[in-house]
Amino acid sequence: MRAQARVGMSVDMRLDAVGKRYGVRRPWVVRGFSAELPPGRLIRVTGRNGSGKSTLLRVVAGVSRPSAGKVTGRPHCGYVPERFPGGLPFSGREYLRHLARVHGLRGGAGARAVEEWLERLGAAGYADQPLRSMSKGMCQKMAIAQALLPSPGLLVLDEAWTGLDSAARGMLEAAVTERVAAGGTTVFVDHDPARLAGLEDERWDFGSPGRVTVLSGAAPLAGSGAGFVAGSVAGSGEASGAGSRAGCGAAATAAARLERVTIRLEAADAAEAVERVRAIDGVRVLSVDVADVADAADAADAAGVAGAEGVAGAGGSRGEAAGS
Amino acid sequence: MTALLRYQAAILLRSHRWIFPLIAYGLLIAVGAAGSSSLAQTLDWSGAMLVPVTAFLTRAMLTAEPDAARACVAAAAGPARAQLATLIAPLGGAALLGLAGVAFDVLTAEAAASPPGTGGLFVKLTAAARHPGIVAGGLLIALVCLLVGSAAGALCNPPLLRHPAAAMLSTLAAIIFALVADVSPASAAITHNTAQAASPLAANWPGAGALLGAACLLAVAWGISVALAARRDNWSPTAS
Repeated sequence: MRAQARVGMSVDMRLDAVGKRYGVRRPWVVRGFSAELPPGRLIRVTGRNGSGKSTLLRVVAGVSRPSAGKVTGRPHCGYVPERFPGGLPFSGREYLRHLARVHGLRGGAGARAVEEWLERLGAAGYADQPLRSMSKGMCQKMAIAQALLPSPGLLVLDEAWTGLDSAARGMLEAAVTERVAAGGTTVFVDHDPARLAGLEDERWDFGSPGRVTVLSGAAPLAGSGAGFVAGSVAGSGEASGAGSRAGCGAAATAAARLERVTIRLEAADAAEAVERVRAIDGVRVLSVDVADVADAADAADAAGVAGAEGVAGAGGSRGEAAGS
Repeated sequence: MTALLRYQAAILLRSHRWIFPLIAYGLLIAVGAAGSSSLAQTLDWSGAMLVPVTAFLTRAMLTAEPDAARACVAAAAGPARAQLATLIAPLGGAALLGLAGVAFDVLTAEAAASPPGTGGLFVKLTAAARHPGIVAGGLLIALVCLLVGSAAGALCNPPLLRHPAAAMLSTLAAIIFALVADVSPASAAITHNTAQAASPLAANWPGAGALLGAACLLAVAWGISVALAARRDNWSPTAS
């Protein structure tokens, strides 16, 4: 496993058509999701409670093996779980020293890293308390410290901010920014939209069950700071590529933080619809679910219109085209 | 792997999950030593009792770490290696118990190792040293039983069987099966023909088949446990 990780260093981490379900008769929590995670990328995962965010994060972190597809090129990973119950028979400091060794930090380097992160998190004062007697926030700090100890190439944070005091929340945001600046990939879930707002490069959004859409965080939009291109350019009038492009641009400039762009166009069949979407400036088709496009085409046959919906990013970023 | 083993061994020691197996094993081998007529017979018994002790020690370790803590370790070192360390630690602990059991048997086995009327630690040790075959046979039997006990523990507990009641009952059933069924390597190792058992100074050796069978069983059981650990990252019993 270690050899695999080393080989993977040279190539970017990738998820290839990753799917996860807990049993053959159980529904897919995530299905057919592909993404690239190059160094220095900050990715926010969004979706409702129970939509599968935590499962996807566990697959990304390598804690859980995908039921379909594969994950390649994963760097050394630090993972902060959603809840960290202190059920282990250690003090905080002992736990962190063990985890430093598990992360491959030897002797003095491990002990120094432990003290550094305890200090930064403001947890040095109670690090000798047993984990069992620690509050939720104190335990959460131990979980965060263990993940940051090795300066991991991949940091996976599952609602790591909950339960922290405000100083620690700020510290964790700063630590994430540092990691990303140093070339570490970070994938995080947090229900506070202000968390690292405007800094994320990409957003993975759980919409319909099992389906994840990659939304690109753009370079700052004109005058808007940063964020996602969003907006709904719905309506069946914009038939041509040129018309759609105009609509797209209008949405991007009109609304700074809209959610998605819907493009409707007329096409003879699904393939042509996809081609049309692909031709629009600023939209890159990441993945197309053939079944969905076919469904959309069938449904549209009666109306004489084939539809395709695209999610667009501005400024040469990317989007996904898929039938809804 | 050293770091993982240290971590798991520390959990085992600090959680005091070794106390019950230690007491149970102590009682069981004391009973065995009192009821046997030769050292070889006593060692058979002590070896057999390692099956339940190892199985329950393995269960204790497979349920010691909360899901979230295991996930952190799995992210750092890989779920397969983490699981392997979780299985090796209790096997090591049970091996220490087994060694202590053999030592206890040798020191208390007056009937076989020393003529009646003489005593003393030195006499007993030198008497045992004159019959190394008996002790070596006992150690090999203990080894077979360790492997079978660990396999039973790995197969009947999380991540394979996650519900506590189902896991404990099946662990118990697996132990009984391992000790009485003809196909079990542990049962084969502790079953000897009467001619052998008749002489108080004869060594009992487990067959090569028993050793090989136990090793294969362990490899299969650990393989399944390790493979499932990465697929079922959530071991909570409600997920059945």
